[in-house]
Amino acid sequence: MEFLALVDISYLLLIFLGVALGIVFGAIPGLTATMALAVCLPLTYSFDLNHSLAFLLALYVGGISGGLVPAILLNLPGTPSSICTTFDGYPMTRNGEGERALKVGILSSLFGGLFSLIVLYLFAPVLSDIAIKFSYIEKFLIIFFALTVIASLCQNMLVGIFSGVLGILLSLVGVYDTIKGGNGAVRLITPGMEEMLYSGFALLPVLIGMFGVGAIFAEAELGIKEETEGAKFDLLSGKKFDLSAFKGSSVNLVRSSAIGTFVGMLPGVGGSAASVLAYTQEKNFSRDSSKMGKGAAQGVIASEASNNGLTGGALIPLLSLGIPGDATTAILIGAFTLQGVQVGPLFIAENIDTWNMMVLSMFLANVVMFVTMFFAIKHIAKVVTVPKYLLYPIIIMMCVSGAYAINYGIMFDVWTLLIFGLLGYVGTKLGLEVTPLIIGFILGSSAEIYFVKSIESFGNLTVFFTKSPIAMFLWLLIGVSVVFSIYSTKRAKCREQVAV
Amino acid sequence: MNTTGSGSIFSVVVDFDTSHLFFPTIILWLLGLLGLAILIQRGPAFYRAVASGERKLRFFEPEADKVRLFGTLGLMVIYFIGMDYVGRLFPNMGYGFWFVSIPFLFALSCLYAHGIDKRKLTYISLNALIAPTFAWFVLSELFNVTLP
Amino acid sequence: MTILKRTLSLAVGAAIMVASGVALASDAPVKGNIRVVLGVNSTGGDTYQNASIIANRLAEKIDANIRVDAIGAVNAFRTLQRQGKSGNTIMFIHDQAYLGRLYEVPGYIDIFEETIVGPTISINPGNAYLVPKSSPYATVDDIIEAVGKGERVRLATERGGASHLGYSALKNAIKLKYPGKEEGLVLLNTGSQADKNQALFDGQADVIHGSIQGNEQFTRLPADDQKAMRFVWITASGETIQQMPPEGMGETTRDHMMAWVDPETEVYANEKDLFTYDKMFYFLYHKDMDPKIVKYFDDAIAEVFAEGEIQKEFQRSFFIPSFRKSDEARTFLEDKKDAYANILAGLEK
Repeated sequence: MEFLALVDISYLLLIFLGVALGIVFGAIPGLTATMALAVCLPLTYSFDLNHSLAFLLALYVGGISGGLVPAILLNLPGTPSSICTTFDGYPMTRNGEGERALKVGILSSLFGGLFSLIVLYLFAPVLSDIAIKFSYIEKFLIIFFALTVIASLCQNMLVGIFSGVLGILLSLVGVYDTIKGGNGAVRLITPGMEEMLYSGFALLPVLIGMFGVGAIFAEAELGIKEETEGAKFDLLSGKKFDLSAFKGSSVNLVRSSAIGTFVGMLPGVGGSAASVLAYTQEKNFSRDSSKMGKGAAQGVIASEASNNGLTGGALIPLLSLGIPGDATTAILIGAFTLQGVQVGPLFIAENIDTWNMMVLSMFLANVVMFVTMFFAIKHIAKVVTVPKYLLYPIIIMMCVSGAYAINYGIMFDVWTLLIFGLLGYVGTKLGLEVTPLIIGFILGSSAEIYFVKSIESFGNLTVFFTKSPIAMFLWLLIGVSVVFSIYSTKRAKCREQVAV
Repeated sequence: MNTTGSGSIFSVVVDFDTSHLFFPTIILWLLGLLGLAILIQRGPAFYRAVASGERKLRFFEPEADKVRLFGTLGLMVIYFIGMDYVGRLFPNMGYGFWFVSIPFLFALSCLYAHGIDKRKLTYISLNALIAPTFAWFVLSELFNVTLP
Repeated sequence: MTILKRTLSLAVGAAIMVASGVALASDAPVKGNIRVVLGVNSTGGDTYQNASIIANRLAEKIDANIRVDAIGAVNAFRTLQRQGKSGNTIMFIHDQAYLGRLYEVPGYIDIFEETIVGPTISINPGNAYLVPKSSPYATVDDIIEAVGKGERVRLATERGGASHLGYSALKNAIKLKYPGKEEGLVLLNTGSQADKNQALFDGQADVIHGSIQGNEQFTRLPADDQKAMRFVWITASGETIQQMPPEGMGETTRDHMMAWVDPETEVYANEKDLFTYDKMFYFLYHKDMDPKIVKYFDDAIAEVFAEGEIQKEFQRSFFIPSFRKSDEARTFLEDKKDAYANILAGLEK
């Protein structure tokens, strides 16, 4: 416990500041946890390693958690990993349960965060040895597994899959990047657009374009009517929050946190896949999933427990292989290198004090996050009472600043916002399904790289089935998941017919 | 990309120089097939419904507010072009974002508000002045984020 | 440092940032904020680190607000060409800039034709190649011999970068010594360091590209660990490595490293010269930027180096300071490029 001597007031203050700032970044549509770390990294030059890590980890925890606020209140995911929170969180707000949804989300976030932290602390080296058993093929199968989610999230199976495949196609536009193992050539670009579309469409503007700008277009068509006083969202008219929201959800909490932690520790698979996987597994395997998508607390629990589960998970490969698990921890590497500390398989053993301090920082950050958000929620939730004629222009402005900043200043990313806003608006009218499209977009480019690299390395297709026991097990999961989703869709349809 | 006869029917060889086209080709085919399937599954019924007048081909809602809809679109296009243009006059200062956001916020708020009175106009003006200034100051000056 | 002091320093820092953004020094040929666009996408890598070291010092020296944006090589070239004329936007990159062109990666421009080459700043000597600890190859020379005897050796690299150059150089060296046998060296196109390491763990690759900084800890793992690796080749010249602090990196001292560089290893570039590669960092400017500004930056950076503090900062982070004014830098880099072009000319890409 010698490392506790390193705790001082400025350390605690930095954690508090980091969490608060992270929540603000996460909560503002357009700004993300990754961005919070990126802009604060230079501020940490003057700190020592422990202080700078405490600050950055607090930002990370706060940023991932803050994303649930706009997801629940505005149907606009504040960070890509909170996309599934919108599925049930926003309907809950519409049912007058906004505050309840937020509190459920925060408590699940805390659980997910602490769960993954315990896993990180106890099993990091062991798990990294498991993580390296996942080669291109197994990673492709995980992505494929996450893609099968589309089947259970769509209204119409065929249209849903079509939308998902369209999303994949859109994610492939532009360069086949060499850093991912590609050959640096561009594709799917019409002549004359090479310059603009070189890097393709960036995820963040696509996401906030479809969810945010698209929704604003749809509302503009309806005339941006202010709710009359009586019909205005009453945040408390629905059920009040109490722990009964978690009744029957203990399996869900643990499973979702575990999925988040696990996906987080596989470098390159990407954080958004975690909440998507956790959400569908809850949908497929819970006793009663009929209300999911219409405002069920269990959906918020699955999504939020898993995306906070990521925080600990993504640190596993970082601290035991020197390889970041997601975009946000990639920036943490910067903090280590700037301080001249090597991360790699011997990091934990050689820097035991730093390691303990990091775990302590994460723990404190989770607690501070919970306390701050839980008690600030009443005030945060008031954002929905801001008149739309003031709120929407601000949302657009913040989305623009975020889109521009996400790749450090590319104007085309701002146009992407508008392009996908229009696509979301027009597409919905033509019957396209937005959620499968987004999921396809998020997973598309990793699916490509792992699929093509697997075939490049092995030269045949059978290897996807025979490579390893892990691959076979993943196929089993995929099979079960598909069967379940078809079965539950059928069951839901039968019920509807009976009801009619 | 070609399937070789050697080995089994499952063997596929990807040429690295053209590997950027391998997956997109598969996806395009898949998309085409799915589109065709949708057409076969839903096309005839859809056609009958339209032909019999049961279903109207209508893009906009019956009482669509086209002024607000196209106003939003137009203002956003002007906003983006404007901030890029102004931003280049003052390289790397973020002024394009700051200076152009103010009129954009003002115009869009006026477009969206119903029954503008003095009180609302005050809110709108204050909001249009304060929000972009605050955002610009915090992002560009405090956090050194690059803005247009 | 007390909290008060820290809060104060933050506040003062913020105030200075604002002030320097607003106050336009009248005699400087560049007014307003300066943006350094990086030829890489990552903020965790060596390019970002070198860029921020020089950017901070330069900002102090010329009293300007300088921000570093990691936007990637192709985007950086375009941004530079579109917005760099005033000198407010400049680019920072390493040898990748001309290597990408030599390997014909789409989007790379000819920096010697289409930009002004700015001063060189520093070297990262860590470019290295590794094998599994259980591998029969002790140094790169063993690999040349093995391929010469007809063995097949798979090398994992990233297309068009420094790692690819090492592959080409090795292939060329095999061709010089055992003509016709060089096809035994097989290129495995992987991407990031994570992918390269993974290729080694999977047994997909026999040799991977890596770096002293990134892979040193793997070389200290026990041999029975699946992740254990060993250095076989450090491409920096022995001369460059001699400029490093003797402690080296982790437990790999400078003397250890000397075993994997020339003249210990013999990777010939042609009949008489050995191939070496040190990763050099430098600035690029817009083609039509005012020569006054070139000189302004040259002089400012020369002063920074003359003060002697920045050298220590580079060395602390395992880099080697290497300043050359723009003209000299151009000749230096063009010679370097020509030498590599000669190697590639004799090979099929």
